[in-house]
Amino acid sequence: MAGLSFSPGMRGQFAAIARVRWQLFVNRLRNIRGRLEMVARGFMFLGFAAAGLGGSVTLGALAWLFITRGRLAWLSILLWFVFLFWQLFPVMATAFGDTVDSSGLLRFPLSFPSYFLVRLVYGALEPSTFLGSFWLLGLAVGIGIADSRFFLWAAIVLLAFAILNILLARMIFAWVERWLVQRRTREILGAIFFIFIICFQFIGPLMSRVGRHSHPGVSRITTLVFPFERALPPGLAAEAIASAIHGAFPPAMVAFALECVYTLAIFLLLNIRLRAQYHGENLSEGMARSTAPKEKRAIRLGWNVSGISGPVAAILEKEFNYLSRSGPMLFTFVMPIVILLIFRLGPQTSARQGNFLAHAPDLAFPVGSAYALLILTNLVYNCFGADAVGMQLFFVSPVSFREILLGKNLAHALVLAGEVIAVWIAVCFMFHPPAINITLATVTGVGFALLLNLTIGNLLSIYAPKKIDYGAFGKQRASTTTVFASLGIQAAVFGLAAVTLLIARAFGSVWIAAVIFLILAGLAAVGYITVLNRADRIALDRRDVILAELCRA
Amino acid sequence: MDAPAIATQGLTRRFGDLVAVQDVNLSVAPGQFFGFLGPNGAGKSTTIKMLTGLLAASSGSIQVLGLDLAKNPVEVKRQIGVVPEGLALFGRLTGAEYLNFVGRMYGLDRETAGKRTAELLDFMQLADQPKTLVTDYSHGMQKKLALAAAVIHGPRILFLDEPFEGVDAIASGTLKAMLQRMIARGATIFLTSHVLEIVERLCSHLAIIHKGRLVAQGSLEELRAGVEGQAAAALAGASPGESPSAPGEKLALEEIFLRIVGSTRRSDQELSWLG
Repeated sequence: MAGLSFSPGMRGQFAAIARVRWQLFVNRLRNIRGRLEMVARGFMFLGFAAAGLGGSVTLGALAWLFITRGRLAWLSILLWFVFLFWQLFPVMATAFGDTVDSSGLLRFPLSFPSYFLVRLVYGALEPSTFLGSFWLLGLAVGIGIADSRFFLWAAIVLLAFAILNILLARMIFAWVERWLVQRRTREILGAIFFIFIICFQFIGPLMSRVGRHSHPGVSRITTLVFPFERALPPGLAAEAIASAIHGAFPPAMVAFALECVYTLAIFLLLNIRLRAQYHGENLSEGMARSTAPKEKRAIRLGWNVSGISGPVAAILEKEFNYLSRSGPMLFTFVMPIVILLIFRLGPQTSARQGNFLAHAPDLAFPVGSAYALLILTNLVYNCFGADAVGMQLFFVSPVSFREILLGKNLAHALVLAGEVIAVWIAVCFMFHPPAINITLATVTGVGFALLLNLTIGNLLSIYAPKKIDYGAFGKQRASTTTVFASLGIQAAVFGLAAVTLLIARAFGSVWIAAVIFLILAGLAAVGYITVLNRADRIALDRRDVILAELCRA
Repeated sequence: MDAPAIATQGLTRRFGDLVAVQDVNLSVAPGQFFGFLGPNGAGKSTTIKMLTGLLAASSGSIQVLGLDLAKNPVEVKRQIGVVPEGLALFGRLTGAEYLNFVGRMYGLDRETAGKRTAELLDFMQLADQPKTLVTDYSHGMQKKLALAAAVIHGPRILFLDEPFEGVDAIASGTLKAMLQRMIARGATIFLTSHVLEIVERLCSHLAIIHKGRLVAQGSLEELRAGVEGQAAAALAGASPGESPSAPGEKLALEEIFLRIVGSTRRSDQELSWLG
C-alpha cells in the first residue's frame, strides 16, 4: 500500500462519500415505507446491541473461567465461534440480495489506495464487525481479569485477529460479489447456499441419533480435525494466548507470527480482487459470452393442451418455464420431502422430542401435503410478482385477466398435485402407505384449501403485487398486506380443518371429514369463480398501481 | 373519408394535483407514420400509455380504428402492437419462447406462432442465441425482441415508445426498413422519439405536446409553414437582421420543435470555468 497517505484531496473524497451516504439515508426517510424500515432497523440495532453486550460479557466470563480452571485449550472454541460468526453472517445476510456497486466509484479520480480504503471501511460497517469486535473486547477483558499480566498480550493478539477477520470478510465478500455479477454463477452459488441450509437441518436429527452414544466415527473425525484446527487463524490466536499464559513465549510468538502471515496473505488476495475492480474489469454476461457463432435451432412449438384455449396454454407453459428455471423455487418444492425425511431421521422413541410423526405416522401424508400447500402460497399470493415489466404485456394483449389468472392458477394447481403425489410416495417409503380414507380426506382438504387460497391469492395478486425475482434467494418479501392476509387465511383454513377433523372423530369416521371438505371445496369454488369473473374489471381499475409496482427498476 | 386510425377527444390525465395530459385532441389518419414529440416530462409517455390501455384516462375518449378503447378494449388490443417504455419482456424466457408466447396471447395458432417466431428472430438477427434468456440480452437486443413481439400478430397500428434508443446503427436501419414496409402495406405507426433526425426522416405527420397540452399537429410541411408564418409576422415588427431561416433553406424539424415549444438553446450562456 505504498503511497497510502491522506492528502487533502483524498480527505475531501472520503468526506464526500460519507456525506452522500448520509444524504441517501436521510432521503430514504421521505416516504412512509422508508420510515417504517428505519423503525425496524432501530429495533434491529437494539437487538444487535443486546447481542453485542450479552455476547461480550458471556465470552469474557467463559475466557475467565477457562483460564482460572486451567482449560486454556478451550479458548480456541470461543475464537472459532467469533470467527465463524464474523465470516458467515455477512455472507448469509447479504450475499443473495443487492450488492454494492463499486463501479460507480470508478468514475471519479480516486487513487487505488483511496479505493481500497473506501471499500474496506464502508464495507466493514456492518453488524458482524460491530459484534465481532465487541466480543473480542470482552474476551480480552475476561483474560485480563483472570490474569492481568497477559491483558496487553491478549489485546494485541486479538486486535490482529480482528484485523484478520475484517480483511477476510471483505475478501470473501469481494469474491462473492464477483460471482454474483453473473446470473449463472449467482444461481449456482444460491443452490450451494440452499443445499448448505438443507444439510444444516439434518444436524439436529443426526446428532440426536448419534449424540447419546460415544460414536467411534465421531471420535476419529475429531482426532483428524484437531491438528488442522490449530493451524488455522482462530486456533493460532488461541495458541498464542494460551502459550503465553503457560510461560512458553517462543511458541506464542510463532503462533502470533503465523496469524500475521495469514493476515498478510488475506490482504494480498483482497488486494488482487480490488485491483481488478479498480482497473475496470467487466464481468457482464455479454462479455462472458463466447464469441463463437452458435448454431440455429428449429423453433419448438408452444404447448398444445387439449381442453384449454391457446392463451391459457401459453401462460401455463410460461409459468412452468419460469419455475423450472428458478433454482430457489425448485429447492423450495423439495422441502416437503426434506421435512418428512427430517422427521424420519429424528429420534424414534419419544413424541416429547418433537417427532410426533414417529408416534402418529398416519399424519405424515396430511402434514407433508399441508406443508406443500403452505410453500405454494408464496407463489399464489403474488402471482404477478415475477412477471415484473412483462406485466405490461398482459395489459396490452387481447387476453382477459380471467384467462391469465386461470393459466397461472392451473400451473400452481398442477405443481401442488405433483407435490402431493410426491409426498404420498415418500410417505409410503418412509413410513407406511397412507390409508385410503386418510388419503381421500387429505386430498379433499388440500383441494378446499387450494381453492380458497387461489381465490384470495388472485385478489391479493391484483391488489398488493410485489416485484420478486424467482432466481434470487432472500429479500423476496411479500407486501405487508399479503403477509397479514396470508396469515389470516392459513389460520382460517387450519381452524376449519381442525373443526372438520374433530367432527369426523366424534362420529368415528375419517370419511366424514372427506365429505365436509368436499362441501367446503364446493363453496370455495363458487367464491373462486366469482373472483375470476371480476378479475378483469379489478385489474383494469388498478392497472396504474400494479404497473407502478411491477415495472419499477 | 376513412375513420381516423387514432382519435382522442379531450384526453386528460391527472396524477393528484398534477395534470400530466390536458384536453388532448389527436387525429391520426390510417397509413400515417405519425411522430409524437415533446420535451422531457411533456406527457408523451402518459399519452401513449393511455392510447394502448396501460393507463386509464381521467377524462376524455379514445377511438382506435373507430372503436372506443374503454368499451372494446379486447377488440382494440387485437389490432394494435405496442413497444412500451419498459419493453414488456419476460426475462426468464428465451427469445423464441417469448415470441411464441406473445403470438399465442394474440390468438395465433401454434404453427403460425412458431413460423413467425423463426422468421422474426432471423430478421432481427437474434436467431443465433437460441438458449440465451432475455434477461441476458443486451439492451439493443431486448429492444429488437420487443419490436418483433409487437408485430408478430400483424397489427394494423403500431405504437412505439422510443424504439431507436440504444439500438445500433445496423439494427436501426433494419428496423426503419421494416417500419416503412409496414406503412407501405397500409399500417399506421405512432412513434415517440427524442431523435428528431429520425422522426424527420420517417414521419409524414407530427404532433407536439408541451406541458401536457397539444401545441401543434399536422404534416411536417404544415408545421413548418406555421412556424415560418409566425416568424414572418413577428419579423414585420423586428429588426431587419433577423430571419426565420436563410433564403431558400427549409427549417429543420429541430428548429421547428424548438420554436413551437418556445425554448432556446443555451449556447450563448457561458460556463466560464469550462475549458
